[in-house]
Amino acid sequence: MYALVDANSFYASCETVFDPDLRHKPVIVLTNNDGCICATNRMAKALNIPKFSPYFKIKQQCERHNVVVKSSNYELYADLSHKMMNVIGRYADEQYIYSIDESFLHFKNFANIIDDFHAYGTVIRRAVYKETRLAVCVGIASTPTLAKAANHIAKKVKQYRGVAVIDDENSRINVLSQMKVGDVWGIGRKTSAKLIIENIHTALDLSNYPVGLAKRHFSQDIERTVRELNGEQCIHWDAVKSPKKQIYSTRSFGQRVFDKDSLHQSLSEHVSIVAKKLRHQASLVKYMSLFASSSPFDDNPVYKKSFHTFIAPTNDTSVMLAAVANIIDSVFVKNVGFYRAGIGCLDLIDEEYQQQDLFTPSIDNSALMTCLDNINHRYGRNTVKFAAQGIEHQWAMRREFLSPHYTTRWADIPKIDC
Amino acid sequence: MIFSLVRIEAGISGFESPAAEYKELKLNIDELLVEHPNATFLGISNGDSMNDVGIFNGDVLVVDRSMHPRHMDVVVATFNGNFSCKLFDEINQCLLSASDDYPPINIDKSDSFIIEGVVTSSIRCHRPSRFINVCAS
Repeated sequence: MYALVDANSFYASCETVFDPDLRHKPVIVLTNNDGCICATNRMAKALNIPKFSPYFKIKQQCERHNVVVKSSNYELYADLSHKMMNVIGRYADEQYIYSIDESFLHFKNFANIIDDFHAYGTVIRRAVYKETRLAVCVGIASTPTLAKAANHIAKKVKQYRGVAVIDDENSRINVLSQMKVGDVWGIGRKTSAKLIIENIHTALDLSNYPVGLAKRHFSQDIERTVRELNGEQCIHWDAVKSPKKQIYSTRSFGQRVFDKDSLHQSLSEHVSIVAKKLRHQASLVKYMSLFASSSPFDDNPVYKKSFHTFIAPTNDTSVMLAAVANIIDSVFVKNVGFYRAGIGCLDLIDEEYQQQDLFTPSIDNSALMTCLDNINHRYGRNTVKFAAQGIEHQWAMRREFLSPHYTTRWADIPKIDC
Repeated sequence: MIFSLVRIEAGISGFESPAAEYKELKLNIDELLVEHPNATFLGISNGDSMNDVGIFNGDVLVVDRSMHPRHMDVVVATFNGNFSCKLFDEINQCLLSASDDYPPINIDKSDSFIIEGVVTSSIRCHRPSRFINVCAS
């Protein structure tokens, strides 16, 4: 059996953990630069505050209803996620952390000692709330896709009280018939539109779709989903996470950037971030993209993109910075207020099995990079950095409504009245 | 006669410590103070109502959410939207201050989450810490 344990509006819930005053108030959390809404808690949802809409559009509505607005406090979320995952992991012999707020559990030997999965789900839910003050929902079923469906219903339908179990044909039909096909794990927007044309509306309709046709009409992935919805396990995960095939670092600026130096600095900052990620997973980049754009809401939106191919694949920050310096002119445009910029590493190869080139040997200084990473790991990010990254960033991320780093900074630990 | 200079290097290896076999892991202060790391948080005390149990303004409180509060435990409660440090009187179902200047607070049974956690220890820095600034309140 599998369980999917998923926090309810995780970012917004994190904000209430050390500020009990917010536990009964509508709370929303904004994305980087306070641009869009990325999380709304239950009370904010009840006020019909739309997720993913730009903040400036609903600012008045928020003020009218005294909605508490917060900037993304990633330092806090990362720490609370880690603690939450540790608590959840205690309840099964295998855990797979799927995202910052979702974790699969696989009950292998545990399955023999659990006689009531519904009660067990409730135990998990209570323990997570008691120890971390984060509310989670639990879905339990025989395959990961069904567990995800059960979790969806546990979240959506109040009567389930946060725990849904699919353990027989009745419960399977009951859950899947209440679920839209577009909400099934692995069904994207395009596929869902296509399925609706074929008169497939609910998850149950999809589970009754002929397996052979699913593969022919759609893809092998959809076929797998159909099988999983029928209780046949097809999704497996490796014990070790496979390295990423692409790495991006992109962010919008706190304020518009008009000069080339600032744009160059921000791209250099992104290079340092992706290069560190490359080294961390022991990959080298062959093909790097670089982009900069103004806002899509501007009258004349500008979107510029450029590429660089490394003949000798690299993960050395200085080699990548030199490439950026060479091609920055192709993305910079005078008199444009840049709003966003980023670096993408598209073609990655394994450091260990790289094909060397006889005529262009690698010039990576891996000893220096290891030293750099070790120092920054020990003393904090950017303790040692390249001058190209700049010293003071006027374009840095805007986080106007940031809550304290309650668990990661001494000066920020919560006050307790005595 | 030709002399050639040859540098001779000899590796110095020294003697193995006679205590090497007895080496154990160092003591870790977390081990002593934090029994349930995932359920524990730190807070800083603000006020003097708990002086009589030895908690003073600016002390660091170690709060364990997983523990079940017992009679006369020092606990942290959520009260008026704030965290408050109190003594838990299980028999009379109320929260007490360790000072006569503050009246007891009755626990409403319907609100079961009023107790946030048990204060398992408190830490005093007898020399000011460079990490924590305490403003006299």
